[in-house]
Amino acid sequence: MTAAREVDEPTRSDIPPVEVDGVSVRFGAITALSDVSFTVAPGTIHAVIGPNGAGKSTMFNVLSGVYQAAEGQVRFGDARLDRMRPYQIAGIGVARAFQNIALSGTQSVAENLMLGRHHLTKAGFIAAGLRLPRATREGKRHGERVAEIAEFLELGDKLQTPVGVLSYGDQKRVEVARALCTEPRLLLLDEPVAGMNAEETTRMAEAIREIRSALGISIVLVEHDMGMVMSLADRVTVLDFGRRIADGTPAEVQSDPEVIRAYLGSGDEINPSDAAAGHPSETPGTRP
Amino acid sequence: MSEATAPAARGATHTARHAATARHRSLLRPLLLAAVLVVLLLAPLYVEEFWLRTGFAVFGAIVGAIGLNLLVGTTGQLSLAHAFFLAVGAISYVYVSGESGGLGTTTLGGLGWPPLVGMVVGVLLAGLAGLVFSPIAARLRGIYLGVASLGLVFIGQHVLNTWTSVTGGFNGRSAPDFSLFGFTFANDNPLLFIAGVPFREAERLWYLGLVLALAAYLFARNLLRSRPGRALQTLRDSEVAASVMGVDVQRYKGRVFLVSSMYAGLSGVLYALSIGSVAPESFGLEVSIQYLAMIVLGGLGSVGGAAFGALFVSALPLVFQRYADALPLVSSPGQGGLNAGEVARYLYGAAVVLVIMFEPAGLAGLAGRFRRRGRDPGGGRATRSSSASTDPSTSSVPSDRPAQGSTT
Repeated sequence: MTAAREVDEPTRSDIPPVEVDGVSVRFGAITALSDVSFTVAPGTIHAVIGPNGAGKSTMFNVLSGVYQAAEGQVRFGDARLDRMRPYQIAGIGVARAFQNIALSGTQSVAENLMLGRHHLTKAGFIAAGLRLPRATREGKRHGERVAEIAEFLELGDKLQTPVGVLSYGDQKRVEVARALCTEPRLLLLDEPVAGMNAEETTRMAEAIREIRSALGISIVLVEHDMGMVMSLADRVTVLDFGRRIADGTPAEVQSDPEVIRAYLGSGDEINPSDAAAGHPSETPGTRP
Repeated sequence: MSEATAPAARGATHTARHAATARHRSLLRPLLLAAVLVVLLLAPLYVEEFWLRTGFAVFGAIVGAIGLNLLVGTTGQLSLAHAFFLAVGAISYVYVSGESGGLGTTTLGGLGWPPLVGMVVGVLLAGLAGLVFSPIAARLRGIYLGVASLGLVFIGQHVLNTWTSVTGGFNGRSAPDFSLFGFTFANDNPLLFIAGVPFREAERLWYLGLVLALAAYLFARNLLRSRPGRALQTLRDSEVAASVMGVDVQRYKGRVFLVSSMYAGLSGVLYALSIGSVAPESFGLEVSIQYLAMIVLGGLGSVGGAAFGALFVSALPLVFQRYADALPLVSSPGQGGLNAGEVARYLYGAAVVLVIMFEPAGLAGLAGRFRRRGRDPGGGRATRSSSASTDPSTSSVPSDRPAQGSTT
């Protein structure tokens, strides 16, 4: 991925927009998402933000097929994501990095990343068990690509390390790398810098920017770190209590009174710019 | 001398092989492996019949344990039905390759086909039984599958006891000798001497078992190191993560159940050959539990560990029986006191408890710890203490196991 740093590729033609259209999700009597709509333009970084319990993760689970929408549609080009199973969604190029790391701790970084190649490879039980030449060749070829991607996320020297012994920040990078290994057209990043220190956060933000410019793919981002969202996102959708309360450019969203109220509560006279000052605004106590 | 080292050497093969998965490979390991293999190959020349027969039983158990470990250890799906699939394999073999004929008042059916065909049919029918059950296996997770699979054992017991013409009923029926393209695995036909040592049934079966166990081992190890294996291990750790990464979770759960039952089928055929007969009591729930004990002892998810666990659990009662006179508390069959089987069960029962409490990764984990320490003194220890929850050797335990949470 050396091309990464050279040119800002124009948006790829094979990347359709993501259209979330009137999506509602219910768990029994609880409505987690209610009539949420937004569009992710091809090749953009689109952030979904909101206070805790706003429905951001539910939205992600709908996008990746883990939850079924009770109403509404999610379209990715011709594909209806709301009607597909998670592994099928992965198969059409939608990848997701999990917020709470969902890697196999006992396996090496390389093995975890190779899982990302699952839908791109074919070796079945028999071919793998008997080590048929085609399975070995396939593994080798994809192993090379995996090494490239690891290099890109500065994990090149940790390929053989079991994931369980890596630092938290590195594990988060492995999450992102694994998602990239699926060669996605749409990348879903669930709080990629949650729990990271300032330096790790900067590195991750830089990596996300590079991913976009190198691959030209769309990225949907759920994030609490407002500083990061505001500097990184092309467009922001704000959720609160399962409803969309704002949608626009970072600047627009930042000055939206609804958003300020959702984040800081009503009644208090607090300078709106605080919301974007880079503090994770949801630590206990900041919300009255 | 070589008598006593044979089982130990066998165990060493598997630990050493498992060690090959370690990050740093030294030249020592392949040499050690080759040496152990040579020992196993030469054993029949020096070792007496009892140990060869025990060895064959162990090889059969190794096949079964590796199969169960793929399902339980690697994929995190609990199954108590292993005894059922062993029975399917064993009964299929004796029926397909056995001769029909009368035994007292009962008439036994049998196809009289070549034993190799019987063995293949045994594996395939066990696989078919697994396939029939796999829609259920694919939809249940962990302990729930364990409970559902329990039913199969009882169905199996009922069928074994009542379908007399095939199974021989309560008394069971004898298993035909194995043969391969005219070469029988029996005492004669042809008479065979190698280096002056008569190669009779025990010697011949030893090699059969060695080859099949080795094949079963290599197949499983290859599987785990490649695409399907990674998918299975990920779905054990997180089904959601696996499916989002493109793994068809239900399909893989079904597949691994199928593979596991085929391993059990082969193990069942070897069991029938080892005992020389099959009877319902050989395939009860207790057998399923024994297999679970093997893989817990050996280390869940580790192929070599499963083999080691199988060695321990299946050889112990036989060894105790043989040395009943010499051992305290153990009595010969027919006398009062504890018999060898009971003593062995107490022993591995205690071992299971100890393993769960102190080394949830089993014997494989223990071996790994020694390897790490050998490589850089103190290094392994440092990793352990610095990240107890993420240590690779302990986090291989599926979430359904109570092991860590209940003891720490």
